[in-house]
Amino acid sequence: MSLKKALLLVVFGGAIVPAIGQQMELPPGTPAGLATPTPPAATNNPAATQPGATAAAPAKPRPNVDESALRYFAQQGNTRRLEAEMARLKALYPDWTPPTDLFGAAAQTDTELQRMWQLYAEGKVSDARSAIAARQAADPSWTPPPELIARLNEAEARRQLINASDNGQWATVLRVATETPALLTCANVDVLWRVAEAFIKTDNPQRGQDAYGYVLNNCDDTGERVATVQKAMGLLDDARLAQLLKLERRGADGQGEFAALNNDLARRRVGRAADDPSLSVSPEDVALLEKSAREGSEAGDALLLGWYLYRHGEPAKALDWFKIAVDRNGGAKAAEGYVLTLVSAGRALEAEPIAYQWRDSSPENRKAYLDVVVSLLTADPPPKLAPEVLTHFSPVVMKDKYVSGAQALGWYAYNTGQVRTALDWFQTAVSWAPDDEASAYGLAVTLLRLREQRALAQLVARWRNSSERILALVSPEARRRLERKAALEGTTAAVPPAYGRPVTPLEPSVGTAISRAQTDRDDTGAVATTGTTARRLTPEEDFAAYSGKGPTGGSGGGAASALQGKRFGRCVTLTDAGFRSGRLSGAEAAARGWCLMELERPIEAVAAFDLAIKNGDEKTAQDAAYGKSLAYLRKGMTSAAQVAAVEAPQNARRSAQLTTDILLQRALASYKDQRYVEVIVALDERARLVPEDQGLMMLRAWAYFHIRDLQSAERIFKALAATGNTEAQSGLTAILDFTKKNKY
Amino acid sequence: MRHLLRLLIAAMLIGGVGLATARAQTGTPMVSPNDWKTYVDRFVDPSGRVIDDANGGISHSEGQGYGMLLAFLAGDRAGFERIWSFTRTELLIRDDGLAAWRWDPKRTPHVTDINAASDGDILIAYALARAGRAWNEPAYLAFARRIASAVGKVTVRNVGGKLLLMPGATGFSAADRPDGPVINPSYWIFEAFPLFAQIAPDTDWIGLSRSGLAMLAATQLGPARLQPDWVSLARGAAPADGFPAVFGYNSLRIVLYLLRAGIKDTGSLETFNRNWIVRNGGVPGIVDIKSGQTLTRLTEPGYRMLGAILACALNSTAIPQDLRTFEPTLYYPSTLYLLSMAMVVERYPKCL
Repeated sequence: MSLKKALLLVVFGGAIVPAIGQQMELPPGTPAGLATPTPPAATNNPAATQPGATAAAPAKPRPNVDESALRYFAQQGNTRRLEAEMARLKALYPDWTPPTDLFGAAAQTDTELQRMWQLYAEGKVSDARSAIAARQAADPSWTPPPELIARLNEAEARRQLINASDNGQWATVLRVATETPALLTCANVDVLWRVAEAFIKTDNPQRGQDAYGYVLNNCDDTGERVATVQKAMGLLDDARLAQLLKLERRGADGQGEFAALNNDLARRRVGRAADDPSLSVSPEDVALLEKSAREGSEAGDALLLGWYLYRHGEPAKALDWFKIAVDRNGGAKAAEGYVLTLVSAGRALEAEPIAYQWRDSSPENRKAYLDVVVSLLTADPPPKLAPEVLTHFSPVVMKDKYVSGAQALGWYAYNTGQVRTALDWFQTAVSWAPDDEASAYGLAVTLLRLREQRALAQLVARWRNSSERILALVSPEARRRLERKAALEGTTAAVPPAYGRPVTPLEPSVGTAISRAQTDRDDTGAVATTGTTARRLTPEEDFAAYSGKGPTGGSGGGAASALQGKRFGRCVTLTDAGFRSGRLSGAEAAARGWCLMELERPIEAVAAFDLAIKNGDEKTAQDAAYGKSLAYLRKGMTSAAQVAAVEAPQNARRSAQLTTDILLQRALASYKDQRYVEVIVALDERARLVPEDQGLMMLRAWAYFHIRDLQSAERIFKALAATGNTEAQSGLTAILDFTKKNKY
Repeated sequence: MRHLLRLLIAAMLIGGVGLATARAQTGTPMVSPNDWKTYVDRFVDPSGRVIDDANGGISHSEGQGYGMLLAFLAGDRAGFERIWSFTRTELLIRDDGLAAWRWDPKRTPHVTDINAASDGDILIAYALARAGRAWNEPAYLAFARRIASAVGKVTVRNVGGKLLLMPGATGFSAADRPDGPVINPSYWIFEAFPLFAQIAPDTDWIGLSRSGLAMLAATQLGPARLQPDWVSLARGAAPADGFPAVFGYNSLRIVLYLLRAGIKDTGSLETFNRNWIVRNGGVPGIVDIKSGQTLTRLTEPGYRMLGAILACALNSTAIPQDLRTFEPTLYYPSTLYLLSMAMVVERYPKCL
């Protein structure tokens, strides 16, 4: 090995040994090799540091390249000029490799060694190792040139480091880097990035920053410099990143080399703030991103803006960007954002279809969907829902055994008068979660409503010691205890709400009632006077009030047009024969029913509606069941009306009307029969659906008075008296009289 | 004092190893160069990767270790260096100093399971230790020490007073699985432990050897009294969950490891003798643990060779003529064949 050759190897194959060794502090236990400072080399030319660029003999025929200058510089020993010429030729002829005989005959004599260099140059490290071992075995006196061993060590170390890094073996990455500092050069920026990541992943971000800083301070390839900042963006915090950005170089035009990253940097800041509402970003950042989002066709920026604006109190703008993100195939995240924004804007109904469409994309999307539907089902008052909402939701609930979903369906059914359906859902919820009090409570309220005394008693027995509100459904004493507790705690709702809606079957709090009453007064501009309630709400008047909104026959043929033309007698005549033979269509039968109602013949109307339920489609059956309920109400047959109401699922609004009417009738009837507890139960249920007016509050107060719950009675009378209600004053007097009487 | 005692026991256990080393040094290889060349041409690619051609052409630490050991036994320093270069660069990347066990040429990154397999690490360290001594390569010995120490530190555990060799760095302990600890009886490569006792004395390798023999006796299950490939030691010994409950391709090599280590006075060999030689004409098989029934007879030369070395060791039966020449089939039986033949050459030349 000639001296010149050794020199050449140091310069070309050799590493630009970095100052990085001085910058990095290694984790405890790492060998100290990296900490040994090695003077940085004077030059830094990646083209000249390609492995094997020195001594490799080409595998392919040599391209026809003028190497005379090269040979001249080699002869002169002018390594600087030699290196520059080599880089020039390499750039001109990518397939060209430098000749191996630059330094005369000596280099050519050892063909075995030449082959080893060639194997190294071709990246066949194992072959080179094997060749060296074979020669050593054959000739124990032979030792391989240290340069060759060093290059092979570096090549292996490089592979090992990359393999370790690919598999998250960060200690190995740092150990190999320490043992092979020659790797840490601008020719191996990828290795430097991996070392930086290893430092950061082993909780040493400062050293990671140093490694990136080393690249930015020492390496010249603009592409690699920009990529270095991009790598750092993914792994370092803002403060460290800012320090690295200061190492930006500016061109002659004053343009910074990292200008291309402005969007990325803005994206990063907005992204952070989108995740953390306490962070805010400059309007410039938002504007930059908005521009990028408008000009681009990808969903990413729109999505980012959506989340940022959503979490920073601008739902309307957020919704626009989420919409764009969804339209640009932004996928599950876009759908999730769109849904959440709609729900927060009170537009859950609009959100349901898209939430449903994406429900299986991710756990977040599933949660968003379930939240949407639960919020719809438990809204107060219950909104009108398209049948699809429920047909979508029920299978999801069943499949997931989603207890909260079953409860929500239970309450929705209950609140819309589909009490049997409610029973099914609550029973399902309880079967899935026998220890869930909220489900049991729903079931108990439903059983009470259905007068399923035996089942209710069993349920209450199960929960007697663990749920006061369930016990309170059957025990006035428990109810009073709850009330006292609520009064002490100053809460308005005696019973904890399910789904955030007040569930107060035994006593809507007085405060709430008053505010509702005031709202009523504001709406109507007049205070309802006591005593009008009972009169206004006779079944006949009730029917008269609603019949205007009653359904008209659809395709009910002649009967329907007769109904519309108010020729009720003709309508009945037209349908007599068909009715008797049972061959009337559903629509005709319903029309006949409504006509009979107009003619004050409710009992016959019931029979007509029955036929309509039997022969009609779903919608007609619904109408007919409603008519049948009204017919019973008209006859004062409240229980029968309730049964009729659940014969066909009622649409939400109509069910609510029907249910409140039924409950009102039941309260009044019970009061007449001096069954005061049932008065209160009926009023409680009704209060869940519609505000209680002052007349009914008075009725409630008197009911309390009669069951000697004087505290509750007094509270209501006092509240009403405070609004100037004189009837309430007589209630208070009655209480006073009673207590005096009892004292003596 | 204790250390000295250990060394004494080690020296006694090594037995033929010293002789073997001497032979390797004097240039009489225990694997014939021709056989080894056939093996290399078939199963070792130029990068030094030993290819398991029965498993989709993947490689693993076990195969690299076998390859290095065979290269050493064939006296092939160039081949050894080639396989070691690949092993070091591609597999020896774990933070704890052990090798990643699985390498797939079709996937990127190639390492598809970073967990270790302790038998692979033992084979690699053992091959390095023997080559380092025989060829006077301090670098090999340094790596042998490093890897053997890591095996001891990471995979040798004292469980309820018993020294166990865990099959991997993670995934087999009582904390990792309900039926843990789970072991593989064929991971005890007994011939390596005396050497490890010298180069990595922080671990009680002689104790591990002793506990291994006790473990082999305790894991003879079912009517055939054979060791399942994977054994749960959670409650007594039972086939581990999630693995076929068979005496299979893993446990087959127990006989090879015992005989290579010069261990003959153990009940396991008698059981193998009864199952393979007395009942099956020298043909080993995959045996269902529960029923004791043979599921598959393994007639490939590499497997029959296991029966032949048993008959040779126990009864001085000559190796059948048709097994005297190496006919490569698949990677695994071919490997078992060469290791078996090397053992016969070394310990039982009279059987040839």
